[in-house]
Amino acid sequence: MNVAIVGGSGYTGGELLRILLGHPQVEVRQVTSEAMAGKPVWRAHPNLRKATSLAFVARSALQPADVTFLATPHGGSVPLVPSLLRDGGTVIDLSADYRLKDPTRYREYYGFDHPHPELLQESVLGLPELHREAIRGARLVAVPGCIATAAILALAPLARAGVIDARRVVVDAKSGSSASGQDPGRAGLHAERSGVMRAYAPAGHRHTAEIEQETGARVALSCHAVEAVRGVLATVHAFATRPIDEKELWRTYRAAYGSEPFVRLVHETDGIHREPEPKILAGTNYCDLGFAADAHAERIVSLAAIDNLGKGAAGNAVQCLNVRAGFPESAGLGFLGLHPA
Amino acid sequence: MTECPECAARVDHHDKILGEVFPCRDCGTELEVAATEPFSVQPAPREAEDWGE
Repeated sequence: MNVAIVGGSGYTGGELLRILLGHPQVEVRQVTSEAMAGKPVWRAHPNLRKATSLAFVARSALQPADVTFLATPHGGSVPLVPSLLRDGGTVIDLSADYRLKDPTRYREYYGFDHPHPELLQESVLGLPELHREAIRGARLVAVPGCIATAAILALAPLARAGVIDARRVVVDAKSGSSASGQDPGRAGLHAERSGVMRAYAPAGHRHTAEIEQETGARVALSCHAVEAVRGVLATVHAFATRPIDEKELWRTYRAAYGSEPFVRLVHETDGIHREPEPKILAGTNYCDLGFAADAHAERIVSLAAIDNLGKGAAGNAVQCLNVRAGFPESAGLGFLGLHPA
Repeated sequence: MTECPECAARVDHHDKILGEVFPCRDCGTELEVAATEPFSVQPAPREAEDWGE
């Protein structure tokens, strides 16, 4: 199978390339970058030195591919998708442009009127844990955002089980600096970022719309930047509608994810790694998911840890490719992470 | 077969003996075989830890 990556010079594009170069059933034919056209891909992604002779090409040189990944900034995929679909290939879009079913939410959260509402109805959210069967037949897969991915995986089983008040859910998310991409502005300067614990979106974060769409809950999302390069930790605070103990939480999450290849339930009684933490997940496609029952506050706490560039973007996109193409779902995604890291 | 008293995961008898301590495959809790016929387990005694966090 041949694939192309549009917008390959950013962090997400580089992670896609790293994973796909090791994928046993994929050949990467083209990687585009307007700013770096003609330069070898390892100029942007030095970890790929000697791994490939690919050079970036301009988007105008893009050829039809079996699968085209769009690692474009938000808004960048909107005009590209219709023509790529006309070419007959599958599109896996990592931007936010085709994630939301309700076009009015693009005005609300992204500030533009979506010009292709019919494609919003056709697109399938790229989260195999929720939409595996739909992904198998999809022409257009929209990979969810990193914070949304973590929050949805943590919250969806509780919402589906009907054990929480869906009108009152709080999600507190912490993320590493690579989630801001390569152009974070002054906020990403070392002097500003080093040692940071910054609430950059105490309310109104764009991923709220994705989480609400997929869980049916009304979500209060607050997002923080922390001292890390990779990683997202989403802590979901939901309020139980009846008494619920941890055994029932285990059963609920086991029923949702017991056979999932990339979701691991982590809630242990011993050791120093009792609950999920993103640090050991860097470079992997895993979501480690933990939980606790807080009887005092009638609260359920659910924790999801991912690598924002892995399960939160490129790894998940390759998992979607595997589902769509009928490849083994873990093909190319076998990295287990580093410890210590 | 029985279940873990912490997380309700399935725990198989296999060839475990009375008093044997082993971790639950899901939640990692150290379990002790309390009886073999019928097979039952209980959390193994452990030292309390103060994480100070």
